[in-house]
Amino acid sequence: MMNSSTCLRSFSQLSLDRTAHASLTSRTLLAPQIACFSTSTARYNQKKGMAAAPKRGTRTLNVKKGRKGVNYEMGKRPAPGERKAQRKRIVLSNDNALPVSWLRDLERSNVLEPTIEGQMMGLPERVVDALRAEEAFKPTQGWGLFRRPATLMRKETVQLAGLVKEIEDANAQQQPRTIRRIISGDRMSGKSTLLLQGLAIAHLRDWFVINLPEANDITNAHTDYAPLPGSQPLQYTQDTYTANLLRQMLKANPSILESTPVVTDHKLPFPLPPKPTLKHIVEHGMANPETSWVCFTALWEELSQPGRPPILFAIDSLAHVMRNSEYMSAEFKPIHAFDLTLIRLFVDLLSGQKTLANGGIILGSLSQSNKPLSVVLDHFVTIAEALQSQPAIVPVWNPYLSRDQRVVDALRGLEDPKQKDFDILRLGGLSKPEARAVIEYYAESGMLRHTVNDSFVTEKWSLAGMGNMGELEKASVRLRL
Amino acid sequence: MPFIFGFSFTEASLVKRSLETIYGVGPKVSQRIMARFHIHPWAKVGSLKSTTLLDLTEELASMKLENDLRRDIQDNIKRLKDTGTYRGRRHAMGLPVRGQRTRTQITTARKLNRTERGGAGRIQM
Repeated sequence: MMNSSTCLRSFSQLSLDRTAHASLTSRTLLAPQIACFSTSTARYNQKKGMAAAPKRGTRTLNVKKGRKGVNYEMGKRPAPGERKAQRKRIVLSNDNALPVSWLRDLERSNVLEPTIEGQMMGLPERVVDALRAEEAFKPTQGWGLFRRPATLMRKETVQLAGLVKEIEDANAQQQPRTIRRIISGDRMSGKSTLLLQGLAIAHLRDWFVINLPEANDITNAHTDYAPLPGSQPLQYTQDTYTANLLRQMLKANPSILESTPVVTDHKLPFPLPPKPTLKHIVEHGMANPETSWVCFTALWEELSQPGRPPILFAIDSLAHVMRNSEYMSAEFKPIHAFDLTLIRLFVDLLSGQKTLANGGIILGSLSQSNKPLSVVLDHFVTIAEALQSQPAIVPVWNPYLSRDQRVVDALRGLEDPKQKDFDILRLGGLSKPEARAVIEYYAESGMLRHTVNDSFVTEKWSLAGMGNMGELEKASVRLRL
Repeated sequence: MPFIFGFSFTEASLVKRSLETIYGVGPKVSQRIMARFHIHPWAKVGSLKSTTLLDLTEELASMKLENDLRRDIQDNIKRLKDTGTYRGRRHAMGLPVRGQRTRTQITTARKLNRTERGGAGRIQM
């Protein structure tokens, strides 16, 4: 018994056999050939204009835009800047998430207490506004999943708070210190978030905070630049970027800038009102980008006067700084990022060449996702990590690699174990109690529907590669399986 | 409407692209000119100061561009043709000049190798 398709196939074969034999026996008796079940030959013969190949040089493939009669307008196009605004939008609350009843806020009094380690703490509104102004929140972070911003006070955060306390204690004894730290760690381990926590702590302790939100934006030649007159070797200012930075600084530290009077004469190229405060200088720099660098230096000098608050100076994606920028000098040679005035100030402070007069912290965060190759930085970071974990085995420099001597000079302090002020802050995975605190917060927010018990926490902790914070968030609230 | 080298450009256009519309200014030349006056690669024409625009115009005026450059190139080809060289003949025929095969792939030669050389730019000869 044959099924229908086999039956059809045998019929078609039959007809082929017949024609083959016919052609062999007598050509005159050849019956008109019809393809068995295919119509493509017939259709091909119907097509016109396929008799010969097209003439040489004529265009046969007509896919050019703007052809008549074709409407390429597919709906409304987004306005200029709309897509970028969408991409960079920061959402900090989710009305569908439940408010967490037991969530306490970080305050000036409790932020330096070691007892908050391992707890979720909310960020007060004042700090959230300041952090938003400084662009410390990143679009890729999961702030938009919860009712309001809250962070985990992990072990490293408490270490950072300890550094803040050390600075304040040193200031109380009139011996200001500058502590420099580079935050390193795996991808999604929370480096930028730790930086944000550092900024939040500094804001709560009424420090003056300067944050360069993304080093890439400074060095990728997307903003204007100009040589700084009288600098040797030649340095370059970035007026628009500096003006924008001043705007962010004013939004983030309004009370300090408004309440602090100008005490020295800076010979500014513009008049200041009577009884000027720092805010006047900053506002002038914002409004007139060509004077922004002058205003920034004047502000820096004012902040270096005795009795002024300590400074937290932070930068994210540090690797972009440790190489040539995309800018070109007048002789068409690449400009090293260290020759940009803002970066120069930061690197001088980081390397210890300059110190903060009133003490403070210089904080740089590495990035693992947007990271240009900087062999020198990688080398010094591995050395510093080795010095922390196993001082007996410290890696040596591969002599076959070329190295950027300026970067080497800037980071040399990392290989000196005696320099306690310059070190890295290595971010590992969360501990299980920390992971449990986060998961309980997720569950309480209604974003995770599961009973939180030891086995569940262990499962998520393991899935997250031994407590990688970003992976933990992904595994428990972002992925819905 | 800002003017560079006597040509007007819209304020929203990139300086780099605006310069490259001029015959004789390509990517390399535009990069060098912009670096000389400290204009970053993404600058718009509208963001330039009037002094920078004048500097650019002055710089471009000192270069051989547009019709001067075209005439120069055409003279070179004409010289080859008039002296009866093989290269001149190949130019006149619109065929490859430097010994390439002509069996296939000579569209670029057909487009470029002609005695009246000098294509797109701001002004036509």
